[in-house]
Amino acid sequence: MAIAEDRRRLTHRLTVLRVTIGVAFVMLACGFWFFQVVQHAQFKEMAENNHQRTLTLRAPRGIIYDRAGKLLVENRNSFNISIVREHTKDLDHTIRVLARVAGVEESFVREVVDRHRREPSYRPIVVIQDATLAQVASVSARKLDFELPDVLVQEVPTRQYLDQMAAHVFGYVSEASDKDVAEDESLKSGDIVGKSGLEKIYNELLMGADGAKRVVVNSMGREIRVLDEEPPAQGKRLQLTLDFDLQKALEDGFRTSGYNGASVILDPRTGEVLAFSSVPAYDPNAFSTGIDSASWNSLNTDPLRPLQDRAIQGRYPAGSTFKMAVAAAALEEGVITPDFKVYCPGHGVFYGRSFACSLPNGRGHGVMDLRHAIEHSCNVYFYTVGNMVGIDKIHKWATLLGLGEKTGIDLPNEVQGLVPSPEWKRANTKNHEKWYAGETISVSIGQGAVALTPISEAVYIAALANGGTRVTPHLLRAVDEGGGWQPFTPPAAKSVVALKPETIQAIHDGLWLVVNGVGTGARARMAGYDVSGKTGTAQVISNEGAKAAKGKTDKDLRDNGWFVFFAPRDNPEIAGAVMVEHGGHGGVTAAPIARHVLDTYFAKRDNRPLPAPPIKVGDTIGPAVAIPPAPVKAVAGGAGTPQ
Amino acid sequence: MFERRLYHHIDWVLIGSILAICAMGLGMIYSTTGGASRIYWTQVYALGLGLVAMAVTLSIDYRSLADKSHWIYLAMMILLVGVLFFGSVRGGSRRWIDLGFFNLQPSEFAKAVLALTLAKMLGEERRPALTNNDLFIAASLTAVPFLIIARQPDLGTAVTLLPILLVVAYVAGMPMKYIYAMTIVAVLAAPVAYKFGLQDYQRERISTFLDPAQDPKGAGYQQIQARITVGSGGTWGKGFMQGTQGQLRFLPVAHNDFIFSVLAEEQGLIGVLVALGLYFFVIMRALDAARLAKDRLGAYLVLGVLSAFTFQVIYNITMSAGLAPVKGLTLPLMSYGGSSMIATLASFGLVLNVRMRRFTN
Repeated sequence: MAIAEDRRRLTHRLTVLRVTIGVAFVMLACGFWFFQVVQHAQFKEMAENNHQRTLTLRAPRGIIYDRAGKLLVENRNSFNISIVREHTKDLDHTIRVLARVAGVEESFVREVVDRHRREPSYRPIVVIQDATLAQVASVSARKLDFELPDVLVQEVPTRQYLDQMAAHVFGYVSEASDKDVAEDESLKSGDIVGKSGLEKIYNELLMGADGAKRVVVNSMGREIRVLDEEPPAQGKRLQLTLDFDLQKALEDGFRTSGYNGASVILDPRTGEVLAFSSVPAYDPNAFSTGIDSASWNSLNTDPLRPLQDRAIQGRYPAGSTFKMAVAAAALEEGVITPDFKVYCPGHGVFYGRSFACSLPNGRGHGVMDLRHAIEHSCNVYFYTVGNMVGIDKIHKWATLLGLGEKTGIDLPNEVQGLVPSPEWKRANTKNHEKWYAGETISVSIGQGAVALTPISEAVYIAALANGGTRVTPHLLRAVDEGGGWQPFTPPAAKSVVALKPETIQAIHDGLWLVVNGVGTGARARMAGYDVSGKTGTAQVISNEGAKAAKGKTDKDLRDNGWFVFFAPRDNPEIAGAVMVEHGGHGGVTAAPIARHVLDTYFAKRDNRPLPAPPIKVGDTIGPAVAIPPAPVKAVAGGAGTPQ
Repeated sequence: MFERRLYHHIDWVLIGSILAICAMGLGMIYSTTGGASRIYWTQVYALGLGLVAMAVTLSIDYRSLADKSHWIYLAMMILLVGVLFFGSVRGGSRRWIDLGFFNLQPSEFAKAVLALTLAKMLGEERRPALTNNDLFIAASLTAVPFLIIARQPDLGTAVTLLPILLVVAYVAGMPMKYIYAMTIVAVLAAPVAYKFGLQDYQRERISTFLDPAQDPKGAGYQQIQARITVGSGGTWGKGFMQGTQGQLRFLPVAHNDFIFSVLAEEQGLIGVLVALGLYFFVIMRALDAARLAKDRLGAYLVLGVLSAFTFQVIYNITMSAGLAPVKGLTLPLMSYGGSSMIATLASFGLVLNVRMRRFTN
């Protein structure tokens, strides 16, 4: 009885156990079915994210050559060390170990990681750009030890420039900012983009397309094998109009002079820029590997403003270089002929005010015609002519020749100069003041409100050289899109005015005399090459202002020196403008720089050895090999004749 | 002792199912350890030793064993205490006795010993009904090895002793009111225990289990990875040795605690259903032995052995799918582990023993 009841209870309770276990197994089966069938797609993707990593293979940017095919900008390989947060179990630990191993400040690593905190965690955060081999070796060793499984060492192409040469032409590259990425949907965070100069203007050509590599990694972050790889497409190759040797000559010239300034040298027939410089420059290489904030701040706060491209962004009073625009206006408008003469007593009185001429101590030039007025840079002549022509016509012709206008060069952020006019004054003064005739007198010699960029001066002298065509300066000569060099269609001239032959002749004669006569440009003279040009010396500050200025050295207050030139006089091939900040007289400081460039140009053209870099002689510069002083007058009679 | 006719009553079907599970386990160990590794061969030897142990526990009449159960129990306790003092330490706990060629884990054998002791004590024919006194003694007998093993510390193995006590007491006629009372106390005590009874890290583990995403790199990591491993296997699996989660070590101790996850990854839902089916069949078939048992002793012995086994199987598989907090509990018959394999096969020897002797006197 007891046994039977016992047996029954056992059977009953066994059934309860059986059912319980059965239910548990059915629930387990349902659980697996739910994960493996219903949610399979989601978990499959998660598993792939676990073990597959897509690495971006950065495309090298396009290589840049000079007009003769000489390499100017290339890429070198450097190493980036990054953290992949997705695979990081302990970010703090990784940061600490990485900082210690790589020998960098922990706070620096943390700051970089913080800056990228909002990005997707699978994207590597580049912590160290351009890592040293020692850093790469020690980080890689820790990776093999599984100490830093979430740290990535990648070889990437990095932009390489020729130190500071033509820095403002090339500009620089850096990682795309959040703003860049927001504005251009083809960009992604981490892309390297051009930030200024040609790198910015032709960024689309230069950038190329990144490739990608999918790899299998294990839980320690070690690559097991490559699944597939899409190679990067390098950016397009560019050939520039720049001539390496002329560029070097120009920069050597500035370096020897010790002055800051800017210069643009171009082919007056086409507008091709042969050399382009803004001094002081910066080293664009510093940006390629991510400039540190200290260097960036010092570049930005430097009172000399090395980041500013003075050639297209600096505006300077034109000084006497402006006089040819007044001459052209007067001749073209028929106000004067080249033989029109003015007597210069050393000063001129206009509208009750006396204006000084250019000679010291109030000496006068005597009777001047146009050619000699240009040669001697006689202010009184141009006061008089400018007054006769009037501000409207001066403005019209200066503008036609490219002054006070943007040139349209293929560089970003060019600024517009200023040639004042009554309309301009009305629009830009508080009480819509009217133009005073006396202001025309100052404008006639390039003072007053006249403020011009060096590049517009270069276009202006080129237009005078070629007879009135305002060429558009440009730097790009050819592009290789993959099928060989394709010439770049040069931009059309901004305007063409057919100057009258006698206008051209008179101005060319005057400019030739400046260099080859008794004029102010003698330091640019080159026997046999008919260099023609005009110096300019522009006041930085009025005489009254000079007294008020405090805390500035004398040098800061010295005049800016200009030299605009072309050569040879007939059928000019090369033209340009050199502006030397606080260089004093343009004939002394700017002309020798131009001469060295011209010397190099003609040596190259005529297959002579290139001249050595110039040397400093006192406050000016001269050729490396001192040339004997040219005889003032041809000596009559035999060699042995005593003087 | 071993009569010839008994041979014909051996449950070959049960043995065949057990060996099928062992074979699946060996296959998975082969896969996760990258071929015929040292670990793989150790498991093969353990399987051989386990079969020998099974033959031994099957041959000696369970009633003879039960008569000596108090001595066996005493020996077991001495061994467990010995481990606390002389055992070798691995992974922060002292569980093993180094035998030179083999690390023996006595706690694995404690389960079968406890089942035998409780079956003997509660199954004595002369006791007509379960008294509170019986229950108290049974609980005490369980508490001693529980506390010793928990000291090692190895809470996972210690906890597997509780189902033995509960199930044997349950079938021995523990009044239902105790079961209800225990349920109510458990429900009420859980929040209090959570707040006051647990260490910080233990609380963290439980809250991480409830929401693994709150700590995806720490305690929640294994759980998330387990679900990814299982889910990514799909219906048909990634194929033998083709799993990424186990092969690339995203899932830790893949050949051990998480072997079922790897099975799910490589063999898919199909493999899971086959394995679940085999385990379910083995459990049901063994329960049958309890039903058929000649005496209460036999029935309780089978149920005691089986409850620890079943609890461990269900818990481990639940954990393999990321549905239970991660605890160092192996999957009997499949996971790598010599002691576990030998002890499990030996205890199934007891089950076979009971079934085989159902007609004898």
